[in-house]
Amino acid sequence: MTVTMPTTTTTPDRSRRLAVTREGGRMIAEYWDELFTARERGKQIVWYNGGALNPIFQAAGLAWCHGEAFAARLAAQQLEGPAQLAGAEYGYNAELCSYSRTHLGCAVLTLQGDEGGSTGVVGMHDQAELASRLPRPDFFVNNYAGCSTGQQWDEISYRVFDKEVPIFNISHPFLWGNKPDAGYLAGEEWESASRYVRDQLVDLIAWLEERSGNRFDWDLLRESMTYIKRAAELRREGLELCKAKPAPATFWDWISCVAPINFLPGDQRLVDYFQAVKDEIQDRIDRGISGVENERYRMYFDGIMNWNKLGFLSRKFAEHGVAVLAGRYIQNAFWQEPQLIDTDDPLLGMAQHYLLCPTNHGTKTLDYLTLRDCAEYDVDGIVFHSTRTCRAFTGPQRLLARSAQNNLGIPSIFFEGDVADASFYKEEILESRLTAMLEAIDVKRAQAS
Amino acid sequence: MESSDETNGAAALDTLRTAARDPRGYVGRWRAEHPGRKVLGVLPMNFPRELAHAAGVLPVIVADDQQPVTEGRAFLPEFYCGFTRNLADQAATGRFDLYDGLFVADHCIQLLGATDIVRELEPRAPVFLGQLISSLNDISAGAKIAEMVATLRTEVESFAGRTITDDALRASIRSFNRDRALMRRVFDARAAGDTCFSPVELQDVVASAQAMDPDEHHRLLSAVVAAREPRPRDDRIRVHLSGHLCHAPRRELLEVIEEAGAVVVDDDLWTGRRYLQAMVDESTPPLEAIGRWYAERNVAVPCPTRVQHDVDWDRWLLDAAERSGAEAVVHLMPKFCEPHMLYYPELRRALDTAGLPQLLVETEHEGIPLESFRTRLEALVERTHRNRPAYA
Ligand code: SF4
Ligand code: SF4
Repeated sequence: MTVTMPTTTTTPDRSRRLAVTREGGRMIAEYWDELFTARERGKQIVWYNGGALNPIFQAAGLAWCHGEAFAARLAAQQLEGPAQLAGAEYGYNAELCSYSRTHLGCAVLTLQGDEGGSTGVVGMHDQAELASRLPRPDFFVNNYAGCSTGQQWDEISYRVFDKEVPIFNISHPFLWGNKPDAGYLAGEEWESASRYVRDQLVDLIAWLEERSGNRFDWDLLRESMTYIKRAAELRREGLELCKAKPAPATFWDWISCVAPINFLPGDQRLVDYFQAVKDEIQDRIDRGISGVENERYRMYFDGIMNWNKLGFLSRKFAEHGVAVLAGRYIQNAFWQEPQLIDTDDPLLGMAQHYLLCPTNHGTKTLDYLTLRDCAEYDVDGIVFHSTRTCRAFTGPQRLLARSAQNNLGIPSIFFEGDVADASFYKEEILESRLTAMLEAIDVKRAQAS
Repeated sequence: MESSDETNGAAALDTLRTAARDPRGYVGRWRAEHPGRKVLGVLPMNFPRELAHAAGVLPVIVADDQQPVTEGRAFLPEFYCGFTRNLADQAATGRFDLYDGLFVADHCIQLLGATDIVRELEPRAPVFLGQLISSLNDISAGAKIAEMVATLRTEVESFAGRTITDDALRASIRSFNRDRALMRRVFDARAAGDTCFSPVELQDVVASAQAMDPDEHHRLLSAVVAAREPRPRDDRIRVHLSGHLCHAPRRELLEVIEEAGAVVVDDDLWTGRRYLQAMVDESTPPLEAIGRWYAERNVAVPCPTRVQHDVDWDRWLLDAAERSGAEAVVHLMPKFCEPHMLYYPELRRALDTAGLPQLLVETEHEGIPLESFRTRLEALVERTHRNRPAYA
């Protein structure tokens, strides 16, 4: 029998989230507000998916909307309902990737909203709902690596808008890693894929110039990539500091930093933000403050974030004295190898980051990265978020769990949830499996001592 | 008394059926007859088998072998599509030992997940991913396809331990084309009104072609075709079957469709027209022709795992229905098949606009609710009857 552990509101919150992420939240809210009014300011708007093309859009004089980010934001604010309903009415199956389902639902709402007026701000009748405020795109750009869903999703967006919005697709070779010389950031497969994607970025820039009528500002691209590179370095340094015991900040803090690094403009404010994140972490180390009150266990988290449950999960793990420290979605994504970026000629390094999406590696490489991070952060176990509608993240998880057990002797648990659909989350399963794993770790420790 | 043509035809169909339903038995016989030669497993949907055939290898499209998933459960999530879970199970239980290697050219993310399981669990067998570009409008699509076809050739050569000459490749292209052309004749005849083959028989014909040597298949199929007299359609409701992009639907489903008072007149199934529609041009240099075959497969029968702005599965479906006189469409969508899910609303919209009744059936690897399917199908048949003009 599974015992359901109620999560009472009376349980004190033992997670100590970084204060600085509130500033990140403000920056993100401002960004979206600007986007909602971009059309009024005469900006053309691009909808894109996948890797962070925003520096290119910035230099091309466009306003940009990242599809997954918008779906994630709706889910994090529990506002995904209307978009998902519109998607369901249109015919999208509930088991379709919930990012794509939410975003396609927004596209449907956007179209419906267009009937109401010429402002470009959709769904005037429904202004309160964020989902219907997304301005209609002037362009689509697809930059999805690894997961084939991303590529098909954009093609469908293009069709939902009756093929009237021009679309550019960047194709990414999947880094299968089979050749004898293949490895993370190494080998002929890596080199040739990098060049191929870089060449497509050159084509994209020409395409945007021609379609938008805006001259591409190369200096602005170099400048924003200089800021992004610096922010990414600070982010890495901050992540490095979290190897300390007890950990000064957790995976959940870094999740709050995803949006800024992933799509905010590259500028001094972004650098200041990540400097402040790192400073706060350093300050905690200096003062002996941990990210979780009484850290007893250290965990790795695999799977895309369950955006509906961010605060909830951070409290839940802290309640058990678990510091979740690292994860595939944090360590191995989002400008995570800043040394690859040459700020004078940034396209190659950008292309390489797009290829480094954590869904774009065969399991061999993911296994290397996961074992490396589990060892470096000295974790006691892995929690796999079996992200219910995300085929890409869940595919290799069982092999990764087996490998962590065989190679590092660390246990794992799986629980179901989803990126942007709360209905898939099963509280009892997470609670009972987590408790069982922690008990097993206790027994092992007792035997060792 | 049966004529000897009929006996030959029946025996030939029996051989095809056996190969379709038990590829293991077929491969065993082929190995015995071709000692020292290799058998390559290839995953749907786009690997050009001609390359392997020209290297003296038997390229077998790995099918969903319809066995229940047991040990494979430990390797892929429960909710993954049935075909990929079955592949994982084949690898986990040693059933993949049938093949000496595995080649895949596709980019469906679930298929890649399953391929990785095979790579991990079958270290003796080389597993090669030669990803054919799936976005066919890209500026570089043509060059990328050519580059990958050349890579596939080299990889197959190293797998087979033999070079592929242009002449051998031309001969293989001819063999596959000839077999496809014959199957296509049968499918075209069905679309034009001939009902002499049942949908299950046709599925066996195509599924056996996916496992067998093309010359042998062609010989047997010729005998089958020669023994059949055309049979005109009666007035049952004419149905087009759509979906199942990469593996066969359960035979029971196909049987129920005809039991419910419908007749299947055409399809775009993987074990149907989707497999045989595109030919390789025999008048162009062979490697280039294979590249072109790939680029044009999506035009021949649109596949939602490819991205091509000017090719529409919905438009194709309406044209196909017009050609065959289909009055209703049954969508067979494997549970969790995302490419299909993404395109389904487009199909639904187009068919609704054209006034064609349709039924969506989500199929499962195990445990099909056959009776509820029958009831829904009977309702579709009834609804479609009401669409017929009263004077017809
Ligand atoms: S990686 Fe996951 S979330 Fe992203 S498109 Fe693919 S299925 Fe959706
Ligand atoms: S095409 Fe559909 S059924 Fe086939 S492997 Fe991909 S998701 Fe599964």
